[in-house]
Amino acid sequence: MTSRELVVATLEFRNRGRVPRQLWTLPWAGLNWPDELRRIQTRFPDDIVTCPAFLREPLRTTGQEYEPGLFVDEWGCRFENKQAGIIGQVKEPVLRDWPEVGGLGVPRERLSVDTGEVDRFCAAAEAFVLGKTWSRPFELSQFLRGPEDLYVDLAERPEGLERLLRKIHAFYVEEMELWASTAVDGLVIADDWGGQNGLLISPALWRELFKPLYRDYVEIAHRHGQYAFMHSDGNIEAILPDLIEIGLDALNAQLFAMDVDGIGERFAGKLTFWGEVDRQHLLPYGTPADVRAAVRRARRALWREGGAIAQCEFGIGARPENVAAVFEAWDEPD
Amino acid sequence: MLKEMQDALIAGKKAEVESLVDRALAAGTPAATILNEGLIPGMERLGVQFKANEVFIPEVLVAARAMNAGLAKLEPHLAKAGVKPRGIVVIGTVKGDLHDIGKNLVAMMLRGNGYKIVDLGVDVAPEKYLEAAKANGAGVIALSALLTTTMVQMKAVIEAVEKAGLGIPVVIGGAPVTRDYADQIRAHGYAPDAASAVEEIGRLIAA
Repeated sequence: MTSRELVVATLEFRNRGRVPRQLWTLPWAGLNWPDELRRIQTRFPDDIVTCPAFLREPLRTTGQEYEPGLFVDEWGCRFENKQAGIIGQVKEPVLRDWPEVGGLGVPRERLSVDTGEVDRFCAAAEAFVLGKTWSRPFELSQFLRGPEDLYVDLAERPEGLERLLRKIHAFYVEEMELWASTAVDGLVIADDWGGQNGLLISPALWRELFKPLYRDYVEIAHRHGQYAFMHSDGNIEAILPDLIEIGLDALNAQLFAMDVDGIGERFAGKLTFWGEVDRQHLLPYGTPADVRAAVRRARRALWREGGAIAQCEFGIGARPENVAAVFEAWDEPD
Repeated sequence: MLKEMQDALIAGKKAEVESLVDRALAAGTPAATILNEGLIPGMERLGVQFKANEVFIPEVLVAARAMNAGLAKLEPHLAKAGVKPRGIVVIGTVKGDLHDIGKNLVAMMLRGNGYKIVDLGVDVAPEKYLEAAKANGAGVIALSALLTTTMVQMKAVIEAVEKAGLGIPVVIGGAPVTRDYADQIRAHGYAPDAASAVEEIGRLIAA
């Protein structure tokens, strides 16, 4: 069975073999643990890879995303950073006033994908290939408006907010349609919706404003015979039924910020949990034994001949022995 | 009218809060009564609802803005009457860390609950907390960190406070921070979320 077949079998709950895996890394890991990172990557090769963007036109950005200093992304969002190997935080909004939405340029360069190159990459890959999409209407709105103003907008609902979301969504739809026309296996959506204890906005508002956008993204993937993957940090239990209802295939979520066992009881067999293992506490401060126990718990709760992918992030503060323990534990026999 | 003011505050109706504060003042209600029986209980009710996931960040922010508008009306009257804030809190994100969304939310909720906030911003060195705490007569120092690599700075602040013999309690919070870590570095308080931070600081100030 190839890696791609293994992932597909997992997403379709007919995998009687090993659990597929994928390690996410922040540049921080390579800077601080280069040898350990290489060893982990050699021992546990990824079954899921992300296709390079293969852009014909370069993105108009300035600075380095993962370096200290200022990084301006292709939308003009300004990230300030103090530490090498991680991304910074937006400090100054791009859109101070609503009339500016009309003048907001979209990064058309992101649509200059060489689809022939993408198809060749996919044909040569044994792994399951994700397109280089990262559609995040909520986060991008925050970056453009500034987090505080965006939250106030969500409460007050100025007309400009709807215009902004429509503009962002139209761009993402175009980008996802483009990637869906290639041979990639899956498309990715990504918005962090959870705080420590629950959703950042009310589930009702989420359902009204954002769920329809995600429904469109999932529909694009499925219409092209591809799978829809999503990343969302924080405690998002309140919207898991909605994500299942719109047909999401795989969700990368902070399982250990939620009730893993309860999630298993309610949702195992309905959605594939694409990791993760607690990067807030366990990976930096736990022991390999703690990590193994957590993985076993997640496996008991979620695995139904599929429905789980061994994934974690080797990010800031994580101990390499704990990252290795994640994959060792997922490889244990039932 | 004070109950009406609470309801308007919770609903984030800034203009209505301002108008109700004006009317209450015109009716001869002391500014301290308006603050302590109108605005602050409104923010406290909101904090309880926030903790219970009945309201969310957008509702808290618009309520905080309405609270600030009401406070701006009251402040000259409070100053004239010699009414002091519930406490003074020096707050900031620790050295090496530029993240401030959580810290700002805590500061906003504290302000809405009647505390004077001295916000030092981000990337704050231990000595800055000390200087600001001394200069402002702070009752609590509140530290925020988002990163596992920067939260170690919290220990440095606590040690600096201990060394200076200030006797000011330090409360810590942020995504990677745990109660265990707070205990380990001898923090006096720990808050896993913004609503808990208000409660914890209230407990420390009252102690």
